[in-house]
Amino acid sequence: MSNNAPLLEVSGLSKRFGGLVAARDIGFQIAPGEILGLIGPNGSGKSTVMKLILGVVRPDAGQVRVDGTDVAGWPTHRIAQQGVGIVFQHSRPLHRQTVLENILLALLPDSFLRLRAGRVALDRARAIAESVGLSHVLGRRPGTLPFADLRRMELAKAIARDPKVVLIDEPFAGLTMGEVESFAELIRGFRAQGRAVLLVDHNVKSVSALVDRVFAMYLGERIAEGTAAEVVQDPQVREVYLGGGMTTATRPPVAATGRKPLLQVNDLSVLYGKAQALDRVSLRVGEGEFVSVVGLNGAGKTTLFSAISGLVPYQQGSISWQEGGATVPLAGRSPASIARGGIVQCPETRELFGDMTVRENLDLAAQHLPPGEGAKQLAWLYELFPKLQARERQTAKTMSGGEQQMLAIARALMMKPRLLILDEPTLGLAPVIIEQISRALEVLRNTTPITVLLGEQNVTFALPHADRVYVLEHGRMIWEGPPGRFAAEAGEGYL
Amino acid sequence: MFASRQFWAAIVVVVLLAALPLWLSSYLLGVLTIGYYFGVFSMAWDLLFGFAGEVNFGPTFLTGLGAYAAGLLNAQGVDLPLCLLAGAGAAVIGGLALALPALRLSGPYFGLVTLVAVLLLQQCIIIFAGVTGGEIGLTMNDILSIDADTNYWIALGFMTVSGIILFGLSRSAVGLILQASGQDAVEAAALGFNITKHKLAAFGISAFFSGLAGAMMVFYLGTASVGIVVDIAIGVQVIIAAILGGRRTILGPAVGAVLLILAGEALRPLGQLSTFVVSAVALIVILFLPGGLLGRVLRPRGRA
Amino acid sequence: MLTVQILIDGFAISALYGLGAVGFTLMFGVSGVLNLAHGGIMVVSAVTAWVVAGEYGAGSYLGALAGVVAGIVTSFATYFLVVRPIQRSRAVPDVEKEVFVLTGTLLWGIMLQEAVAYFYTDNPKTVRPLIEGVTVLGGVRTPTNEYLIAAICWLTIGLLWLLVNRTKAGKALLAASINPRGLTLLGFELSRIYLLVWAIYGVLAGVAGVLLATFLGTSSAQAGQLTASAFSIVVLGGLGSVSGSLLAAYIVGYLETCTAYLVSPTIRSMPVLILLVLVVYLRPQGLLGRR
Repeated sequence: MSNNAPLLEVSGLSKRFGGLVAARDIGFQIAPGEILGLIGPNGSGKSTVMKLILGVVRPDAGQVRVDGTDVAGWPTHRIAQQGVGIVFQHSRPLHRQTVLENILLALLPDSFLRLRAGRVALDRARAIAESVGLSHVLGRRPGTLPFADLRRMELAKAIARDPKVVLIDEPFAGLTMGEVESFAELIRGFRAQGRAVLLVDHNVKSVSALVDRVFAMYLGERIAEGTAAEVVQDPQVREVYLGGGMTTATRPPVAATGRKPLLQVNDLSVLYGKAQALDRVSLRVGEGEFVSVVGLNGAGKTTLFSAISGLVPYQQGSISWQEGGATVPLAGRSPASIARGGIVQCPETRELFGDMTVRENLDLAAQHLPPGEGAKQLAWLYELFPKLQARERQTAKTMSGGEQQMLAIARALMMKPRLLILDEPTLGLAPVIIEQISRALEVLRNTTPITVLLGEQNVTFALPHADRVYVLEHGRMIWEGPPGRFAAEAGEGYL
Repeated sequence: MFASRQFWAAIVVVVLLAALPLWLSSYLLGVLTIGYYFGVFSMAWDLLFGFAGEVNFGPTFLTGLGAYAAGLLNAQGVDLPLCLLAGAGAAVIGGLALALPALRLSGPYFGLVTLVAVLLLQQCIIIFAGVTGGEIGLTMNDILSIDADTNYWIALGFMTVSGIILFGLSRSAVGLILQASGQDAVEAAALGFNITKHKLAAFGISAFFSGLAGAMMVFYLGTASVGIVVDIAIGVQVIIAAILGGRRTILGPAVGAVLLILAGEALRPLGQLSTFVVSAVALIVILFLPGGLLGRVLRPRGRA
Repeated sequence: MLTVQILIDGFAISALYGLGAVGFTLMFGVSGVLNLAHGGIMVVSAVTAWVVAGEYGAGSYLGALAGVVAGIVTSFATYFLVVRPIQRSRAVPDVEKEVFVLTGTLLWGIMLQEAVAYFYTDNPKTVRPLIEGVTVLGGVRTPTNEYLIAAICWLTIGLLWLLVNRTKAGKALLAASINPRGLTLLGFELSRIYLLVWAIYGVLAGVAGVLLATFLGTSSAQAGQLTASAFSIVVLGGLGSVSGSLLAAYIVGYLETCTAYLVSPTIRSMPVLILLVLVVYLRPQGLLGRR
């Protein structure tokens, strides 16, 4: 640590999974006492890079130098011994041991001859616990801790190995605003100790206050590098996160007020284990309305939609729905019954039946329609997405990402939904494809009375269609209004 | 661990058990003796499942190897103590052979390999009936003792020593590392632990005690046969005992095994129904008390 | 002569193995359950057929029918009394559900086996053949019943194929094995799909059990062996792959028959076990399995 030679030096790192390029020629350096943010939306390959550095996945090519030693291709435990520590986003602590024992675990030597951890180790575990603010819960079991303390424990475990390089996966996910600050302070502590820190996250915003530099990835490749401010201004980054480079017709303004609310979400809170994913979120969708919820990856859009579809239980709040002329609560209904009731979701993960053909996928969705309806609906969908008709007999998994997305949307529409939920339909797709999907949505809203709830990170895609826009950030709704006012009131702080 | 209440409770229980020959008939002592050997089988199984996270559906592969290796050597005139050592050694080799697939395979695949290992061992014993005695079994030249009390004390002592070692191991630094690798191999490796090394060690230790217990049991009984130390049904009993007593507690499985053997004996008048009743009770425990009969008591300081 | 004999016997045995394994693999593919009570259920069907046909004198056909019904009933009992309670239990952590289902069904299988043994002893029982007489083919005299059994097996497998590929319910079943979450989003209740798959499984295990009883005879002591062979075939073919199971059933069937005729009946399952270990080591996903 005497000179400023980089502690972590990645060069030419590449990995393919079958036909998918997860990382191509990735290279960056982190000096002692430097914090680098590795950012990219879901599927950009940032997690793969993290796994490659840690040796969980073997690189096809490239080098990973830790303090000068190339560790690429080594088994994980040797890389860890070489001085790489990680704070996992989802960790599985030892539930039957105390917090102190969990930290002690990280201090143990890799040997089965040492049966008892010595006094020294015990004292050191206590000292580390104190440094992250866990002294008051040392004797408790992880299962009884609040989420923030669990994350502190993971930090403590990483510190215990005294790593030269620390990887932190989504450092602030699930934390409240107040907790974020105290965590940022702990991470700054790593910098002060001269460690090299790599923060992996969805977007610049969540790490901008902390990082010295940012390395942005998309579709497995580097798209920008520089200070947080530079990266946010980078045109390619803006295109990836905000969209752009395509033409979309702006929707003629429709009076949104006074409509009957079709779906009403009130004060919804969702916890994943102990992590707060949604914090008192409210949302209203009127009949025939097109509502967009915009927010960066990890803001909680998918959680919100999953809660509406009954896939995720919620701890607080209510969701109600217009059915048969009355307002009914959705709590307690199975996801399938909610779907049959008219709320059909086209999820981010698409959830297609990969080994089945396009036609079989669509036919399954038509099974709940009255006889005869299916054929009519199918004809209409083939008109909307002519490509699907051409690929009628092809299996879903052999199609391109764009075609799969179209099939996913068509399959949801096949059910004749009263409310269509679209979660990140543009994720990872080329602008040409996004434009096609955009046009289909335009046709949809102009020719049918359908109600749509769209979740998007890509603002350029989400705004033109919308009657009303919500902005979700860190599990909370922070803005609501017509798309025209978004740029002026919410656009500035979005990225 | 020495300060814990459980430890003193265990001491009291062992002292009481050691005094049992004062009151019990030699028949009951014999049942308990078998129970104690089963206790070791179950504890050894629990070290693999509860701590290293490996579900071994064929614990009798290890006990059978130990029993037959010891028995075959004894038939060649080798001394009893050497036979015991050889039995434990053979089981360790078998255990390491099982560890190889365990490190590569997951879930049902590894479970199947362990089952197949038992079936293969069983077939080998039958094919080489000339040496192994085949279906009839192998009669030992030596036995541990002809005195029921002595046999009882040997078994109790053996279970106690094994229990102390296995329990101590589970609560030691090594136990922590094993649990961590059983729970999340990637995370444990990221903490710098060589999972392969630790799992191999777990297999070796588990196999050592299984094999030694198997060898001692046949020297107590005077015969080794497939039905007693190899059959899958015996392995199932070992697993049931561990789950019944409370997996991941080491001591629970020992208690479960003794109870199971006693129950089997008590239900003997029911004839064929006894297995049915034991299975039904075990099933009910699994459904309604998944932590095991003693899981709550023996879990370190209970889950909050 | 011997070759023809091996070909014919092997074919019939393999068809029977295939039928038993198809239900087992279908169950795993759709609901993720490895049912270790499989042999127990087959034995219940077989012995029911024997009791109804022989003891009550109702004849082979009624006996066979009763056996299949018993298969369905036992299958549902397995689901409602053992599998579902474990799957829904809050006390069992999710990561341990698989082990609990394995152990639970194993115990349940032993209970079935012991109950049968208690009421009807574990002596081998043979149901009278569905069809009498002997057929001569290539100079080999084989009971006509053996041909019938192979035919029924393939007919049942064919009907299953039609059900899965040509009916709406079958398509939903297939979809559930590919992506259960996707199916839920389309408004299908998975709980109903599971009922359907346990019903189909019951029929398959029932038919296989009854046919086994008319072919080789059966005894409650065989339950474990039957489970083990179905499990082995399914793993050999690739968990969840129906065509893989059928292929594996024929490999196992012929390997066993060859060993029995050419080497010695006492080691008939030995080569299969060794093959299984090799496949599991070298190609854990099985012959036709994907990962």
